[in-house]
Amino acid sequence: MSHTEHTKAENVAALGWDPDDPHGINPDHGDHHHFIADWRMQVSILAILLFFTFLTVAFFRLETWAEVAFGIHLPGWVNIVGAMSIATVKGILVAAYFMQLKYDKVLNTFVLLYCLLCVGLFLGFSMIDLGSRHMVNPIAAGEISYGGTGVGLNSAPADEDFSVRFSPKVNTGGMGIIYEARLTGTDSEDHHYWGLEKFRNDPNHTEAEFWQIHYGDHATHRDPMDEHDYFSQLGFGHHEDVSDANKSRGRTGLTPGIFSDVAPDSHGDDHGSHDSHDDGH
Amino acid sequence: MSTMIDTNPTDVPQSILKSPKHWRNRIAGHHWRTGDEEFDAAKLGMWLFLTTEVLLFAGIFCGYAVFRMMYPEAWANGSHYLDWRFGAANTAVLLLSSWTAANAVRCAQLDKQFWLRVNIIVTIACAALFIFIKLKFEYMVKLGQGKAPGTFFSYPHAHDAHEPLWWSLYYIGTGIHAAHVIIGAALFGVVLYYAKRYQAYGPTQYTLVENAALYWHLVDLVWIFLFPLLYLIH
Repeated sequence: MSHTEHTKAENVAALGWDPDDPHGINPDHGDHHHFIADWRMQVSILAILLFFTFLTVAFFRLETWAEVAFGIHLPGWVNIVGAMSIATVKGILVAAYFMQLKYDKVLNTFVLLYCLLCVGLFLGFSMIDLGSRHMVNPIAAGEISYGGTGVGLNSAPADEDFSVRFSPKVNTGGMGIIYEARLTGTDSEDHHYWGLEKFRNDPNHTEAEFWQIHYGDHATHRDPMDEHDYFSQLGFGHHEDVSDANKSRGRTGLTPGIFSDVAPDSHGDDHGSHDSHDDGH
Repeated sequence: MSTMIDTNPTDVPQSILKSPKHWRNRIAGHHWRTGDEEFDAAKLGMWLFLTTEVLLFAGIFCGYAVFRMMYPEAWANGSHYLDWRFGAANTAVLLLSSWTAANAVRCAQLDKQFWLRVNIIVTIACAALFIFIKLKFEYMVKLGQGKAPGTFFSYPHAHDAHEPLWWSLYYIGTGIHAAHVIIGAALFGVVLYYAKRYQAYGPTQYTLVENAALYWHLVDLVWIFLFPLLYLIH
């Protein structure tokens, strides 16, 4: 212990308070007992851990034997849940008794639990992402690759509804989607418009519907692929320069165009007339 | 259970009795009020470090889960290629070493210097045995068959196109774990040196033994999960 310990008793008696701990934050220091494990407990924990190792292997062997000898095929989750729950019990035993979290300051336990919460979020959201890629916004359906889940890389479009439809460009013939994209150049910019191609080629839909949804989601500027200027035709043009309830845009003056080099009337298309007519600033 | 300190004190050779590195002569850093506070802070720091280690391995576990979901056939084949006996043997070896690591802490707390050294030596020996089994019966055999990761894969009897990915994950997961085994053993080597040379760890001063043991338990903990994931789940 530190050399201040020797004089502490006299100081405390004379001063009435502890100079090492004036605010009494840690009143029992000096005779603080660290936990010393009982060797019988340590041996028991080792025995239990080895037994659980035997158990998880036995479970695995039993399952394999049942399948080979009797053709009993247990569902996949039995295997996973069995092995993982035994592993979790073993992990808790190691953390609680060998790492002595059970007898330690509770702060260390919370550090570990918080870390495990983060691991849970990490794994959980990854699984949710992977497991829900077929449930997409219809507008994005044409851009969605089912190759990511390993399902239907070679499949034909599943139905007429946009909720389940494979883009022809995503049919990779069994090749990995990233590799396929690099080979064919579809990882370049134009792959964002697979959905547009579908609307253009589909007799039940019009291109205007595509742009209505597209600009409805994010109408900040006319898209370069919007050859017929649906941006203005559908009335989104006035969104370009002004703020509204959903977005804030930089302004150079109170009235659009008042301080710009080009007068509002000389924009040359109906885009400008929207500004002056609809908003009336 | 609280045990009286110095129930079985070790004789201290005259040569190290006055050494500032002997545990009776070691005092807390000047910025700590007591040795206990220094110990608690060091242990909390070790736990914070261990959380980053858990997150490192979480990346591997997440990769395992994602690729298993994407390529279940490759993952089922992959686990069939591994022999559960070597995995189980290594599990037992690591559990045993985790026990000796815990015992090393206990011996330091009770000033049983001889048994402290014995426990550390057994722990290091178990680490060496673990690495030996992994290299001799697993890595070298599998690499000889062409079961290599990624583009190095040349096993001619593969049943699934994604088996190279399984081997990538297998070698990365077990390789990073094996690196931790080696680092942990090296850490215990440092502890062993100071324990032998200065009797540096005793009832009032055993922070490094405790933290090395915590690290070693974490290595054990990771393997407890890697073993069923790689060898048993199919």
